[in-house]
Amino acid sequence: MAENRLHRLSVVLFFLVTALATASTILLFQEGDPWLNVALWAVTIAASHALSVPTPSGKRINLAIGPAVAAVILLPNVLAVMTAISVGLFGGWIVLRRRSKTDRDADSDYIAESVSMVAFGLVASGILAALADTALPLAWEQLISITSGAVVWFVVRALISAWVGTEREDLASRYLWLLALEDWTVALSIFTGGALFGMTWTEMGLWAFPVAILPYAFSHLAFVRYHSTRITYGQMIRALAQIPEVADLAPRGHSSRTADLAVSMAREIGLHPNQVTELEYSALMHDVGRITLTEPAILKAGYTDEDIARWGAQIIAEAPYLQEVSQYVRVQHNPYRRPGEAKDPDVPMISKIIKVASAYDQSVHEMHLSPLEALERIHRGSAYDFDPEVSGSLRRVLVQRGVIAA
Amino acid sequence: MSRAVAQRQHRAKVQVAAGFGALGVAILAFLIWTPWQTFPDPFLWAAFAAAFVYFEWHSVEVNDRLFASPSIMVLLTAAVIFGPGSAVVGAVAMAALAVATPQDIRERRWFQPIANFGQLVASAAAATTVLSLFLSVGVPTGTSVLDSGLWRIAIGSALAAIVYGTVNYRMVLFAVSRVYGRLEVRPWSHIGAILLPMTGMGFLGGMLGATYLIIGTAALPLIAVVFFVGYLAFESYARLREAQESTIRGFIKALEAKDLYTRGHTERVARFAEMIGKEMGYDGTQLERIRWAALIHDVGKLAVPRELIRKRSRLSEDEYQVMQHHVHFVEDLLDDVDFLKPMIDIASNHHAHYDGNGYHGAGHEHGDQPSKEACILAVADTFDAITSTRSYRVALTQPYAYAELRRHAGTQFDPEVVEAFIASMEKSGNSYGSTIELTDDEARSIAEEGLDAMRKADQVHGRDFPLAPMGEGASDG
Repeated sequence: MAENRLHRLSVVLFFLVTALATASTILLFQEGDPWLNVALWAVTIAASHALSVPTPSGKRINLAIGPAVAAVILLPNVLAVMTAISVGLFGGWIVLRRRSKTDRDADSDYIAESVSMVAFGLVASGILAALADTALPLAWEQLISITSGAVVWFVVRALISAWVGTEREDLASRYLWLLALEDWTVALSIFTGGALFGMTWTEMGLWAFPVAILPYAFSHLAFVRYHSTRITYGQMIRALAQIPEVADLAPRGHSSRTADLAVSMAREIGLHPNQVTELEYSALMHDVGRITLTEPAILKAGYTDEDIARWGAQIIAEAPYLQEVSQYVRVQHNPYRRPGEAKDPDVPMISKIIKVASAYDQSVHEMHLSPLEALERIHRGSAYDFDPEVSGSLRRVLVQRGVIAA
Repeated sequence: MSRAVAQRQHRAKVQVAAGFGALGVAILAFLIWTPWQTFPDPFLWAAFAAAFVYFEWHSVEVNDRLFASPSIMVLLTAAVIFGPGSAVVGAVAMAALAVATPQDIRERRWFQPIANFGQLVASAAAATTVLSLFLSVGVPTGTSVLDSGLWRIAIGSALAAIVYGTVNYRMVLFAVSRVYGRLEVRPWSHIGAILLPMTGMGFLGGMLGATYLIIGTAALPLIAVVFFVGYLAFESYARLREAQESTIRGFIKALEAKDLYTRGHTERVARFAEMIGKEMGYDGTQLERIRWAALIHDVGKLAVPRELIRKRSRLSEDEYQVMQHHVHFVEDLLDDVDFLKPMIDIASNHHAHYDGNGYHGAGHEHGDQPSKEACILAVADTFDAITSTRSYRVALTQPYAYAELRRHAGTQFDPEVVEAFIASMEKSGNSYGSTIELTDDEARSIAEEGLDAMRKADQVHGRDFPLAPMGEGASDG
């Protein structure tokens, strides 16, 4: 459903962009402006849609904003800038179709891309024109206008990708909006390359190319490595968390299923992306204390769930970067409120989510209850054990997944 | 560490500090009392000095051999902006500010700051002198830097970065070899790996200076963004990398702590393996790979029931299967972690013998010679097994361990690795194992007790996993 709507929207935007491109090109010729520069920038903007780079949020961003920034500085007026950007977006449609993995990706990218780029062009070249009569030095006028344009571009882009993501994947838009904001370092880096090129090209000539490209190229090495390390870090935690399962001390697959469910719930609730990552690690390792059960003395003495949680927290606490995760694991069994009291503010949302997700997975995979019975069991425990806010989210996630009927 | 060694080190430190400090002071004095250079615009200078000091204090460890810091970029951007008439004095004054990091002050170190002072001042002076000469020789006075050609800035700042890197590296090498008596001669390719990014950063730094000369003050925010975003990107990457390693270290430490006999084993083996690697001239990614392989070489055993590990008598066929099953499962698990794949291969092969006998990991045939990394891990693992107390015997002495390693060199162990290990251990001045000197016979009889159980197990299973002869016991496999 939602996909069709997104596709229709992207087609509508494509026609609007085409109309804008045609109109501005006709106007440009009527004015008799030199069109070769405009055409060169349009081609560059279109082509740079094909170059996309990984960002800290785990998504990708394409480089089109870079040449657009340079074009605002180097082209003579608003009309020329808007022609370059709209013709560039016209070409971008084709480029995105060719290189996106799925049509859905191309649709969503195009919606965010076209609206934010047009907004950028209007704001940046508009402000530049407005500042022309002031006493500011030209370089400062340029810097102020492209910076304001870039801020508008970034915010619009983040808002639209949050909205598109909500449409596509039923995730909380707050989560997606915060996620998109994480990309500011990469965006700033691309923007700076474009700005340096635009402001130095006339004086420096070809030397402006290395000046514009090198700063980004250096950071790019780090961005790419960060991206791959983040993936392997996740993989490593997943592997370590499975040691008790491999040793037959915990049911197979429980920790990764719990983590999977917990992450979906957290995104649905709209936790901050950093917290979602912490939740994922905590949920993966919530049973890691079971590794202690290789010890015969402990088996003989007996143990409780709280013991397992505490031992797990102790193991995790040895890793200096997982102090919070250790804390979440430690309190995972605490009731969210006690008889006659209000909600306990010391039980973090992450621990409450793990408690619910783990209990659900246990009910389905160990007690062999149906999903509805399992949910019912959790609802029955909502007086003290399970926070209704969290179990409500569980219900919505299960509905989204098609496990239970709406 | 013995007292004689400590005293010698202290004397060497005083000498190096005095020499470096005097050099730095001499350069500063020369610049102050000759009319060669004028001091640059103080506001601009202060801004760049602040950035330089910040980056110099917060350099980022990209990998074992590469510390990235954009400070060289800041230095050369500033030098180009100051122009050939003020570059040297401006840069040297910046460098002199960055000597003592907050950590040095907190820990009241005196050697590091003084040595740093001489080293930074000398490299900054040398680099900016090269740049100034490049910008001014053959240029009529009064010509602006831009008019004399951008290529002068481009090539001059790239060269300046090479000079900076070389002077810095040589001085560190000198100080280290004087104090620690260890002269690490690195092949040119490794120095190239350090200098290449520096050259790039120097070039970019110089060109950013040129953008200031063209654009004016509006270029400053853009230059700042280039410095800080690049820095942030590398810093967050380095932090994540560190998090990854400290996570696995912490995990293994916590799990080993539960067992008296294995406590600290992994941590020590990783240290020994790294020592051997360094001694054999490995560095960067290779060294990192050896360290990681050592960190995970025993992870499989964490999943094995303790009663099997602690068992004094030989394992029954069933128990043996359980043990192997668990160990292999964990190796399979870690195999899913992309970057651990090559390390798993080393770790699972560390019981293979140099001559091709012994237990080989998956994917290796009997008779294959194990990789150098696996040989390194084998020596490190065996040394720790001999010098620590196990369920079947007490710890033995270091000289006994050396003799044992040498006795099996060429068959079980790679002779080159054994000698590299003993040499590096002697240099470090540390000692492990029991301090009670046993006669050879006594030591042998203690070891034989443990060996007996293992040999029987070997005969039963027709192979020697997980029990290699000597020092490798039922608690180590």
